[in-house]
Amino acid sequence: MSQSQDIQFDGLYAHELTVSRSEQVLLEDADLHLAPSTITYLYGENGAGKTSLMRCLAGLLPADHGVVYWNKKPISHPDSGYFQDLIFLAHSLSMKNELTIAENLRFYANLRLKGRVHQKSLSNDISGVLRELGIGGLENRMFAELSAGQQHKVALARLMLEPAKIWILDEPFVNLDQKTRGWLADKTLAFKEQGGVVLFTSHHHIDELPVDQNVGVEHE
Amino acid sequence: MANAWRWFHQLGSPKYLFQKTGQWLPWIWGATLILLAVGLYYSLWASPIEVRQGQGHTVRIMYVHVPAAALSMIAYIAMAIAATVGLVWKMKMAFAAVRSIAPVGAAMTFLALFTGSVWGKPTWGTWWEWDARMTSELLLLFLYLGYIALHASFSDRSKADKAGAILAIVGVINIPIIYLSVKWWNTLHQGYSVTEEGALDPAFQTPLFLMLGAMYLLFAALVIMRLRAEIILRNQKARWVTEWATGQSTERGDA
Amino acid sequence: MILTLLKRELKVARRNWIGLAIPLLFFIIVVSLFPFAVSPEAPVLQKLAPGVIWVAALLAMLLSLEQFYRSDYQDGSLEQLLLMSSPTSVAISKILAHWLLTGLPLVILSPLLAVLMQINYGSAGSSHTWVLMLSLVLGTPTLCLLGAVGMSLTLAASRNGLLVSILIIPLYVPILIFGASTVTASLENMRYNGELAILGAFLLIAIVFAPFASGRALKISVG
Repeated sequence: MSQSQDIQFDGLYAHELTVSRSEQVLLEDADLHLAPSTITYLYGENGAGKTSLMRCLAGLLPADHGVVYWNKKPISHPDSGYFQDLIFLAHSLSMKNELTIAENLRFYANLRLKGRVHQKSLSNDISGVLRELGIGGLENRMFAELSAGQQHKVALARLMLEPAKIWILDEPFVNLDQKTRGWLADKTLAFKEQGGVVLFTSHHHIDELPVDQNVGVEHE
Repeated sequence: MANAWRWFHQLGSPKYLFQKTGQWLPWIWGATLILLAVGLYYSLWASPIEVRQGQGHTVRIMYVHVPAAALSMIAYIAMAIAATVGLVWKMKMAFAAVRSIAPVGAAMTFLALFTGSVWGKPTWGTWWEWDARMTSELLLLFLYLGYIALHASFSDRSKADKAGAILAIVGVINIPIIYLSVKWWNTLHQGYSVTEEGALDPAFQTPLFLMLGAMYLLFAALVIMRLRAEIILRNQKARWVTEWATGQSTERGDA
Repeated sequence: MILTLLKRELKVARRNWIGLAIPLLFFIIVVSLFPFAVSPEAPVLQKLAPGVIWVAALLAMLLSLEQFYRSDYQDGSLEQLLLMSSPTSVAISKILAHWLLTGLPLVILSPLLAVLMQINYGSAGSSHTWVLMLSLVLGTPTLCLLGAVGMSLTLAASRNGLLVSILIIPLYVPILIFGASTVTASLENMRYNGELAILGAFLLIAIVFAPFASGRALKISVG
């Protein structure tokens, strides 16, 4: 149990984190700091625990031990506002096949903004982002009808439609064409400029995206 | 009070729990066997037969049936308490306890149903009667089996523990509701009842309480044995387990 | 927030309307089996009617439960829902959607089944049908609430559709007892207020603990 420690760090700070999955301890007593306006690249072999660490930082996987802080408050504390500030894009795209692209994106935006958004301007924003991503005009297509690459782009569109302060992205660059890779790198840098925190994984370094911190996870 | 808390938290350590239960077990088994012997003597020989309802010797089944039924209820409540401890204080040993109690509790429930059925055949004329107590026992058996099935269906043990714990707590809330509903349903359809309400003749009380005590201890002994097995299973990779299993120290530098 | 979640549930479910229609068809078909299995004579059917219709309703509710959870769990939507709103809200939206799309239609279809099972044989009006509908209105939400707890607990377990049923049916027994006996009491021209009150009490108890338990279980399944 953490007493009211003097947590000095702004942004995301994990203290003495122990994470396990199916009785396997993946990380023990790890300390991790993701400061505002930084981009952190998380690397490691498959199965080493990158995704589990990310899910733990995102608040989905409970840690065996240790606390994750957001702006000096534990993320489990209602005042931390962590989940309002966080966009977590998992490996699975979290989109419904039965809904159109626009319906999927509009749902998440409305959920994030708690309905306090003008629906017409949201629709315009959606169309705009889709066009930027090269899938303009497909708003009313069912998500299931899209190709894998197009579906991936839809997931990325959420980053532009939902205001946030921290992005935790699990393999966002995988299977993207060069143009889209460039787009995502640009948007990530812009997000960083505004003070955002970014944590992402990838199989290889992304040339277009300079990172501030490299964190490796490896098997013992 | 602080000492009690400390002891409680110590029990959360697998190694400590394993050692302590290892110390308790022989005593519990000893007491069980003694009480069982005395209880059976009283039940089978030194107690009267039932004349009022013409049951004769069959009434002796009660000395197993009633304690088994009582324990089946107590066991489920114990499961629910352990489940709550596990969820609130996040103690893995509490979850191990839930998992250990379940099969023994289920066995008690089955024993209660079986002895109830055997007792019933000469009394009611059939092997089964949908009376309030038996029906509630049957549903309790389903609740136990449900927990065991749920826990076994997970590949991730910590998820299994937590989901099972929630199920146990939901079940315990429902037990009084189920019992009262079934009782009401039964009076509606004018069923028979296995035992009479009302005070038991003192001559019947001694063997009953002896057997109750014996079953209680037997239950405790069996649960503790299962718990120790669970502890070893869950901590296979710990060094103290290897030492215990091989009887050798694994300190570096030793032969 | 619950409204946003609920609208999504309803929209997604409506696009898969076949999955919702099938349990309702099942409801009707199963009830229709009894005249063949037992006897087509009205007095016999009337006596069986409350129990048969209630059991069929119970089974139909269980059949339609999975589709509100399984696909969200598999495509990752459930994670996002739990991240962006409280687990209890997610649970409530699914329970409401389940009831609106299965419970309510069941209540509306029940007069049809009442006719098939000759519930109003020998009586002047259709009073027993109303009692049947009333018992279902009070009882089916509780079935949804408990079903949600069972479904949430088993989401991360191995995919066996029957596991939920095994877990939940013992908990359904009290509701079944009082739901069916409400209608039986009406058939015997006795007062049924007591039974209805108890059904209402079950509903209130379930409303208090089931959404929380279901939300907690959803978090465990996803974590």
